[in-house]
Amino acid sequence: MSDPQPLRGRLAIAAGLFGLLLAACDPEPPRPELHYTLSADSKQLLADYPAAQDQLLGTLGMLFGSPSNPRYAVPEEWIDDERNPNDAWAELSEARQAELVAANKKAFATPLAALERGEFAAVEPAREALDLQAAWGEIRAGYDEIAAAMEAGTKSRTDLDKYVAENKADAIALFTDWYPSLRESAEMYRTQCLHCHGINGDGKGSTAEFLNPTPRDYQRGAFKWTALNEKARPRRADLYGVLENGVNGTAMLSFKRFSATQLEGLVDYVRLLSIRGETERNLAREDAEEGFKIEAVQEAYLDVWSKWDKSAEFVIAYDGEIPEATPEVIEHGRVLYNDATGANCVSCHGVGGLGDGPSAKEPDPNGGPVPISKKDDWGNPLGPRDLTQGIYRGGDRPIDLYRRLYAGINGTYMPAHSTIKDPQGNRKVTDEDLWAIVHYVRSLSKGKRL
Amino acid sequence: MSFLNPSNGAWSILALLVALLLVLVTFVKFTRLWTVILIALLPILGVWTFVKAPEWGLWFPKDVSTHGAGMDSLFNLILWMVAITFVLTEVGLVWCVFRYHDKVPGKSLFTHGSHKLEMIWTAIPAVALLVIAFAQIGTFKQIKFEDHWPTGGPYSKDKPIAHVIAYQFAWLMRYPDANGSFDSVDVIESPFDFVVPVDTDIMFQLKSRDVLHSFFLPNLRLKQDAVPGMTIPMWFQATEVGEYDLICAELCGWGHYKMAGRLIVKSKPDYEKWLADKRAALKSNGTADLEAAE
Amino acid sequence: MSPDGNSAPAHAPAHAPGHGGGAHPAQEGPRGVAAPGTVHVSHDHHELGFLRKYVFSVDHKVIAIQFMLTGLFFLVLGGLFAMAIRHQVAWPWKPIPGLSVLFPDTGGVISPEFYTMLFTMHGTIMIFFVIIPLLTGAFGNFLIPLMVGAPDMAFPKLNMFGYWAMIPAIFFALLGFFVEGGAAAAGWTAYPTLSTIATAAPGSLTGQTWWLMALTWVGVSSMMGAVNYVTTIFKMRAPGMTMMRMPLSIWGLLIAALLQLFALPVLTAASILQLLDRTLHTGFFTPSNLLVNATRPELLSNAGAALDGASGGHPLLWQHLFWFYSHPAVYIMVLPAMGFASDILSTHARKPVFGYKPMVYSMSAIAGLGFIVWGHHMFTSGMNPALGMSFMVATIMIALPSAVKVFNWIGTLWGSRIHLNSAMLNALAFVAMFIIGGLSGIWMAATPVDIYIHDTYIVVAHFHYVVFAGSVFAIWAAIYHWFPKMFGRQMNETLGKVHFIGSFVFTNGVFYMMHQIGLAGLMRRTADPYTYATYAHLQESNELITLCAFALFVWQIFFVINFFHSMFWGKRVGRNPWRANSLEWEAPSPPGHGNFDRELAVYRGPYEYGSPEVSEDYLPQTRKLGDGAARPAQAHAHH
Repeated sequence: MSDPQPLRGRLAIAAGLFGLLLAACDPEPPRPELHYTLSADSKQLLADYPAAQDQLLGTLGMLFGSPSNPRYAVPEEWIDDERNPNDAWAELSEARQAELVAANKKAFATPLAALERGEFAAVEPAREALDLQAAWGEIRAGYDEIAAAMEAGTKSRTDLDKYVAENKADAIALFTDWYPSLRESAEMYRTQCLHCHGINGDGKGSTAEFLNPTPRDYQRGAFKWTALNEKARPRRADLYGVLENGVNGTAMLSFKRFSATQLEGLVDYVRLLSIRGETERNLAREDAEEGFKIEAVQEAYLDVWSKWDKSAEFVIAYDGEIPEATPEVIEHGRVLYNDATGANCVSCHGVGGLGDGPSAKEPDPNGGPVPISKKDDWGNPLGPRDLTQGIYRGGDRPIDLYRRLYAGINGTYMPAHSTIKDPQGNRKVTDEDLWAIVHYVRSLSKGKRL
Repeated sequence: MSFLNPSNGAWSILALLVALLLVLVTFVKFTRLWTVILIALLPILGVWTFVKAPEWGLWFPKDVSTHGAGMDSLFNLILWMVAITFVLTEVGLVWCVFRYHDKVPGKSLFTHGSHKLEMIWTAIPAVALLVIAFAQIGTFKQIKFEDHWPTGGPYSKDKPIAHVIAYQFAWLMRYPDANGSFDSVDVIESPFDFVVPVDTDIMFQLKSRDVLHSFFLPNLRLKQDAVPGMTIPMWFQATEVGEYDLICAELCGWGHYKMAGRLIVKSKPDYEKWLADKRAALKSNGTADLEAAE
Repeated sequence: MSPDGNSAPAHAPAHAPGHGGGAHPAQEGPRGVAAPGTVHVSHDHHELGFLRKYVFSVDHKVIAIQFMLTGLFFLVLGGLFAMAIRHQVAWPWKPIPGLSVLFPDTGGVISPEFYTMLFTMHGTIMIFFVIIPLLTGAFGNFLIPLMVGAPDMAFPKLNMFGYWAMIPAIFFALLGFFVEGGAAAAGWTAYPTLSTIATAAPGSLTGQTWWLMALTWVGVSSMMGAVNYVTTIFKMRAPGMTMMRMPLSIWGLLIAALLQLFALPVLTAASILQLLDRTLHTGFFTPSNLLVNATRPELLSNAGAALDGASGGHPLLWQHLFWFYSHPAVYIMVLPAMGFASDILSTHARKPVFGYKPMVYSMSAIAGLGFIVWGHHMFTSGMNPALGMSFMVATIMIALPSAVKVFNWIGTLWGSRIHLNSAMLNALAFVAMFIIGGLSGIWMAATPVDIYIHDTYIVVAHFHYVVFAGSVFAIWAAIYHWFPKMFGRQMNETLGKVHFIGSFVFTNGVFYMMHQIGLAGLMRRTADPYTYATYAHLQESNELITLCAFALFVWQIFFVINFFHSMFWGKRVGRNPWRANSLEWEAPSPPGHGNFDRELAVYRGPYEYGSPEVSEDYLPQTRKLGDGAARPAQAHAHH
């Protein structure tokens, strides 16, 4: 039973605390500073050399920057060729560049319209376009200065109009000619891709543990849905295609709501993550007792780059018109599908194409009675595709399926049927055979596509 | 944490707080005055923000549908009725707080109610509500009742332009083959882009592979849940060429916010060309990629 | 209880309100509790230890305070979740202060799946652990026996169990955050198949199961309470307390309890069905031919072996069952608040409630109609459109009784003498903002318009106006008003006014503009809206809303300080500081065991303020007027 006590003191304290709390609030937080880390593989390989781990991380930092500020180290060999890996715009063909300018005009229609009208105050650049914001910010600062001076009476409307007239063309060009820097693409990656694909591009973002299939781990340089043979590194167009169409039947959605320019920028950044990852893998396998020698580093770096540069050479195409899907062709495909001396698809994909064939399983390493699913190169359990669903992750056109058969699927145990040879050294299935199988496989999902 | 650089929004909140602090200082002494002002501000600011909302862009997006006008006019009818009721009741409240305060001498008016008043203020809202109930029947039937749907166009419930398939977290549009069959292997699959011709009655079927999604086209005032296990027919007609957002409107998982698509309304010849290009792409032999690579 | 009513009655419950031996007047009520309106004289005070007195008490007042403290705690917790949600919506993918502990790799930027858990648990906590416990658990418990003149609830032990049933519910609800996959993430509405298929959402791995368990326990708690409340109100009123002399708070609580009784079993059944779908892989809500996460659900199990999951169910079945309860639930969340508002307005405006009978009929109509409108949550769900029409008609009709109530509140204030203290201010704000919430509901009732605004922020604005700006303000009003009775001390008026003004301004700052951004089409439950062209310009509005939300949340410190300070050091008051009429003010402040210390007889209704029969401006229900003409059994002349 306590006596009443006045509240004044406590009220003052509360008000004070409250005021302090508010004053300390910076409502809009800054972008977080992120850091690359070494992959679990690298750490395991270098487990005995902790100093080497730090050195590796530092070396990779020198070569690739950080997630908040990525940029390539330019190899000496390239300086003379005037090749700058940080300038991806220069890699693009003129036709593509024109397409991107058109895409910019469409994506930035609102700010451009405001600029045309001279309404500098109404322009808002996209949130991930950090460098664009900075560049525009400079022009805008000049405008605001004059506007403020107008309020104070030291400058007039004509000064403002003059400023607008002088800077309009430059401002417009900022938007129409915009191509994202690696930093801007990294910011877009952070907000759109990172939670699945991870900071390092290792496919281990927070959402990844709930996904089947898991997100792509770029660090091996292996990408499944390319148009290429011999497990070549993807072309820009392959990566762009995945961003544009998504991967049907997975959580990788189509990102077409972003402009073509933004997607090209993401291609640049994914490539950086992949090259970084492969460089890291290669270096981690070196003898690290003495640390990493500069020559080894340069060699590893250039080696990976050269693989990416060669992609275009591996495009798979078929000469002439593709065979039609007549009943005879489909029957031929069916025979080859089931024939052990043919393509032998049945061993993994099963008689009905349900993906329940025996060869897709291996004995349980823990000695259990039930065989378990084979794994892909990333260590994830991988079953063969259920062909009756009609869900083709790499594209559903016949040419897409042909490419899967021809070159296999990089990173998995789907073989490259163009390379499988019989004891006499002849290909077991010819290109025409492959088309027959393609048409047969497509017929399996007839009427059943989900 | 930094004091140094609040955004524009933060400045307005700080200004509001300073104002609030000033009000606070006098609130205890002038409670009635401030209460009257605060409650009065509800209808004043409440109506003002609705009047200004279109100017601020906080209004319905552009309507390019044929049935949207019915919905928008129904909305406006209700908006007017609601606004009038809002203002009248809040003014009543404000008046009472202003006029009937504890310093007025004597006791309150001693009444337990008025039968007549109860009848009046039951009957008038009842009529208003009935008006609203009947006003919407026509539009509702037009959108939802299949026997009210337009006929005679190139598409019908049984021959839709496409199947729209929702899955976590994408929209996949499947167009039939050249013979109109959805069961054939030559169906055209278009991820993300739902392409339709303008000024045509579009019938399509909505499906889901996994969980509930919802097909929402703000610019066509169209929304329908995609229910796994159901195939739901829908229709609309777009009156203007252009590209419009397709948004998922039912929580479908972590990627709900990303589940975007696009309605691309093309002129009829452009639509036919798009479809023809897609069919031709089925016959691609990949040499186009060779040329691109050079 | 002893059949002859004599001394030493059977002590069946160990802690029955102390019936000792010795001469003891009168009648016994049910279960060994003293009859209503009688004095409870205990001759045999076994001193209760701290635990039996304050923790495991069967005294309805203690239980009420337990519910209140629990509810207020969860109001803060749910509010914290809301702050995180608002932060993400205003500044997507920026670090949220305090969350870098959970998300060290990204520097405190939350993941999309965590966002889904945040809004799921925010809604769940606010509805089941804040509003319903505060309105029905806290005030229902506290007020019902006191206002009807009973010494305690009809079933005191059941009452205690009702509170303690909340503890497993709390445990399960919060446990979800710590299990694999995290907390439930399918929205508080838990629609299948997102909620029933393990791989459809991270929270659907195990968190959702715990969520369902929590819901079941909350249901148990609510049912216990509802049974108690209805029995007490029907059976334990003091002599002279006819149904039409009960305060509207009691009517609101009674009708809400009836709603609980009839609607809750459906939710409990539905959540059991969903539990079965999740654990035993039945197929009530699971259709055939699903492909979730590229794997057919029937093939999923942790062990890798094939499971035979049943299918052939329908997701819409859950929606019907869920909304059959959850729509009446929203009236459970608002009817007691309306009752409190009527009482508080009348008391502090010193004027009778205008139209008592219409108020009672309106509340009954709202409840009755509330059972046939559930489909208005499902207009776009894929149910038969003809069914949609019938729900539309009923939903439009339900606006009418709510409108009548608003007019009656204004009628109550007309010609009154308003004392603008904290309780009154909050009650006025309730009316003012309930108007907004109720009116915005009409758009949603109009089905063609609902096609556009379903699942947009207009819906969010609407329900936050009725439940937060409405019910929570009514709860604050009720706390300011009945705190003196609960603790014998008054809350500080200055601080109460400070709390009011900030809360009022910032509540409107947060929720009003949500109407307009909802019109612009902004979807609910969207972690990052601005990549859509349709929403790109909405960020500034959302920033303003978020800043108001932060201010609103922080402003509550004034209430917290006031509440706890006043509990121990507040100004002491007597029985009837507000000079009010209803029975609870007859009891001491705080009431002792058995509540009343003298015999009660009721002679009139509770709203005789400003009566010309007496010189004071109030006339308590129990006051007997001189010439004996007004007798307890007769109803006072009302028109």
